[in-house]
Amino acid sequence: MGAFMIEDDIYIGTFLDLFNVRFAPVPPSTILDHQSVYGGIEEMAALQKEFDIFRTDRLFSDSAAILGLGGLYNARAKNRWFELLRRLPGNGDQLIADVLVANFTRKKPLPCYMKAHFLESRKSDQNRVIITEADNPLFYLEQEYLVISLPMAPRPRAAKKAKKK
Amino acid sequence: MGGPKTSRRRTDASPPAGTDLAAVHAAIAEYYTAKVRKFGASPPGADWTCVPTQEMRFVQLLKLCDFTAPFSLNDVGCGYGALLSYLDWRHGDCAVDYLGLDLSQAMLRQARRLWRDRPNVAFAQGGASPRVADYSVASGIFNVQQDQPLGLWETFVAATLDHLHRTSSRGFAVNFMKRSSPQGKTREGLYCTEPERWTNYCADKFGARSEVIEDYGLREFTMLVRR
Repeated sequence: MGAFMIEDDIYIGTFLDLFNVRFAPVPPSTILDHQSVYGGIEEMAALQKEFDIFRTDRLFSDSAAILGLGGLYNARAKNRWFELLRRLPGNGDQLIADVLVANFTRKKPLPCYMKAHFLESRKSDQNRVIITEADNPLFYLEQEYLVISLPMAPRPRAAKKAKKK
Repeated sequence: MGGPKTSRRRTDASPPAGTDLAAVHAAIAEYYTAKVRKFGASPPGADWTCVPTQEMRFVQLLKLCDFTAPFSLNDVGCGYGALLSYLDWRHGDCAVDYLGLDLSQAMLRQARRLWRDRPNVAFAQGGASPRVADYSVASGIFNVQQDQPLGLWETFVAATLDHLHRTSSRGFAVNFMKRSSPQGKTREGLYCTEPERWTNYCADKFGARSEVIEDYGLREFTMLVRR
C-alpha cells in the first residue's frame, strides 16, 4: 500500500476520477442534456475566470479542496489524498496549480487528465510530477489533454514490516 | 435565446384555482432535509457540487440588484444561508435586509445556528414570504423534480413565480437547468427547460420583460425579471 494513503489507497482511482470528470472535455450538444451533471472544462474555465481558483500563490491541493475534489464520504481518505498532493516531490503541488493557471490563459483551455506513474526509486528521474501538453492519454478518445502524472510507489517493505511489529 | 422554432408561447402552467401543492412542498422538504442531515451546512448539504458552482449562481442572480443603496432581499429556498457568505464577501459594503425562506425545518436549523449573530437576517419556514422585499432570488429550487409529474411540477414553478412577483417590489431572479431543445432528453428526476418557456410566462402573466443570462459555464440559465 502507498505510504500516504495506506489502506485508503483503493480510493486513489476515485480521486483521480473526480478531477478527470470536472476537467473533462465537454460532450457534444447532442448528448449534453442527457448527461447533464458537470460542465467539464468549460465549467472549470468559467469558474476560474470568475473566482481565480487556481493561482500561482496557492497550492493545487487547496484549490482542489475548494472544488470538492476530495469527495464527500470519506474524510480520512480525503485528508490523506490532500496530504499526498502536498508532499509531491519538486513542489509538485504548486507545479500543478501553475500549469492549470497557464492552461486557463489559453483561448480554449485543454481538458485535463490526471493519472499516476510508477516510481521505482526515489532517485529515479521519474520522481516528479510529469506534465505533458496535448497528449492523448485515453486510446478510446480522440481528444488532446493536458496530462498531469503523479509519481506513486508502493509502500516500502521496511515500513510494512515495522507496522506489523 | 431561441429563434422562431422555439418561440412558442405557452402560459398554461398558471396554477389552476385550488391546486394543492402541499404534497410537492412536502416532498421537496423531505429531499433537502435528507441532504442536510447527511452533509451538514455545506454545498452538498444543499445539493450543490461545491462552493464555486454555488457562488457562480449567486453572481448571476444578484445581477438583478442595485448595490449602490441598501435594499431588502428574500432568498427563497435559502438552504443554510450560503448566500449570506457570498454577500459578505463581495458586497459587504452594502446593507442588505435579508429574509431566508426554506421548506425544510432541518435546513433552517442549520441556517439559524450559522447566522444567529448576524444583524438584519431572519429566516422563516415555508415557500411563501410573509413580506414584500425589494428583490427576491431563488437558486436551484426548480431543478429537483424527483418523481413529480411534469404538469404538477410546472404548476409548482408557475405558482412560485407568481408569488415571487407578488412579493418583490423591484424584481426577482431564478435559475433553471437548461434544455437545449424542446425535444432534448433530460436526466431523470431533474427539471430542465428552455428559457422561452418561462420568459413567455412572465411576459404574459406579469407583463414583465425578462433578461436571460446564459453561458456562465453551467448547464443552466438565470432569468432576471424586473418590474
